[in-house]
Amino acid sequence: MIQVERLEYSYPGAAEKTLKGLNFAIGRGEIFGFLGPSGAGKSTMLKILIGVLKGYAGSVRVLGQELRFTGPDLYERIGVGFEFPNFYTKFTVLENLNLFRSLYSVPTEEPMRVLDRVGLKDAARLKVSQLSKGMKMRLNFCRAILHRPDVLFLDEPTSGLDPVNAKILKDLIKEMKAEGKTVLLTTHHMQAAEELCDRVAFIVDGQIKLIDSPRELKLRQGRKTVRVEYRKEGEPVVEEFPLEGIGNNKSFLQVIDRYPVETMHSQEATLEQIFLETTGRSLS
Amino acid sequence: MRTMSAIASDVRFQIRHGFYGVYVLVCGLYVLLLHNISPGYKEKTALLLTFSDPGAIGLILAGGIVLLEKDQGVYDSLFVTPLRLREYLIAKAVSISVISSCAAWAIQLFALGFPAMPVHFTLGVWLTSCLFTFLSIGVVTRAKSINGFIWLSQMYSLPLAVPLAGLFDIGPSALYAVFPTNGSLLLLEAAHRPIPARESLYAVAVLSAGTAAAYAWAHRSFEKRILSRVGEGAAR
Repeated sequence: MIQVERLEYSYPGAAEKTLKGLNFAIGRGEIFGFLGPSGAGKSTMLKILIGVLKGYAGSVRVLGQELRFTGPDLYERIGVGFEFPNFYTKFTVLENLNLFRSLYSVPTEEPMRVLDRVGLKDAARLKVSQLSKGMKMRLNFCRAILHRPDVLFLDEPTSGLDPVNAKILKDLIKEMKAEGKTVLLTTHHMQAAEELCDRVAFIVDGQIKLIDSPRELKLRQGRKTVRVEYRKEGEPVVEEFPLEGIGNNKSFLQVIDRYPVETMHSQEATLEQIFLETTGRSLS
Repeated sequence: MRTMSAIASDVRFQIRHGFYGVYVLVCGLYVLLLHNISPGYKEKTALLLTFSDPGAIGLILAGGIVLLEKDQGVYDSLFVTPLRLREYLIAKAVSISVISSCAAWAIQLFALGFPAMPVHFTLGVWLTSCLFTFLSIGVVTRAKSINGFIWLSQMYSLPLAVPLAGLFDIGPSALYAVFPTNGSLLLLEAAHRPIPARESLYAVAVLSAGTAAAYAWAHRSFEKRILSRVGEGAAR
């Protein structure tokens, strides 16, 4: 669905390239996350992938089309949701969706149906200026999927959302995947990426440092041990045991048999740690 | 279809932001003024008012609308749809021309009666409004604030006011022939006296050429200064 080869980009007048030779491909039904700190080049890459910036070097193909030659018809097949959910504030929720819907020539969703999916049905007649940030983010998602796009681009989709609203959006993104849609999201929220993405790419200083599935990364770069916290004669004790042959490890079996265990965790790395080790940079 | 949707949305936007209400009030004041002016000056005053307000209303309205849209950050949502920039610009020009024409006709009918050449008059208002709308959009893409826009819009529109001097017989009329607004004044004059076909043709041609140039400028400015920044989220 998306193929990027040797992508380079420099802003006019800039001394340094913002993107320096990116290569990656994203398949159908995949959720792909771009992780990186502010200024890493995520937004520039997103703007290229949605056809806003055309003056790039290399090749960028979305749905088989080289983006430097595409026009607004591309938006009949891709959906875009930016971090800041902006709408006509003096129009109602429904008026906004009806307006955006009327700009497509492909079949579109019934606005009330999508509003219902995100729990905004009751807010349909409210002006956008009356909505909370969480409601606007959900409305932004509705707008982005109104025309049933094959590829969805989301910039920081859970940014600034409380856990309940974040979960609603994450569930909807997973539903898109289940429908065979491709989703590309940019974020610096590791937890959201870990939870949602089939694969992630770390981008720093305009370069991709690593691409893999979060699970593979965490397993490969973590310690293959189990950390157990338990109480021995009233005192807290922490011990680590190798995962290999854990079922026959007498010390481990003795601990869990004799003492009250408080916590027990395998020691795979977190995406945050892997990012730090790979790039030498923090995400925040 | 998209253009029609964009026009409908623009009209709704203008109504919701109270532009129509304010404009009805302003037109009412103009009609009152024209009623109380001596007959000798009435036609010239009406011509000036129609040119500078219903005609040139696009200069203020279009800029105001774009500033509001920028402030609300709607371009991040609007220009990731199949809407073409030309459709967006045409919708702005048409929606503002509608209000311009209604206002010009209201002032004309209530203060002076039915125009001598209604088609010429309407075309004059319509094209003048489009000219100033496109000029305003080109200007507003360069402005960062309302004050900046007001200042820049006056600077850019000043040359277009030059032919007004001709109304007061200042300088040779040939001097004004290249100004598109010379065509505006000729067509608006058709409200009070019939104008010959040759003059009409010249007026429509020079005004259309000016409007087309303003459109091209607005298109280029908007593409370069607004569209390339889509996704940067104006509103927070």
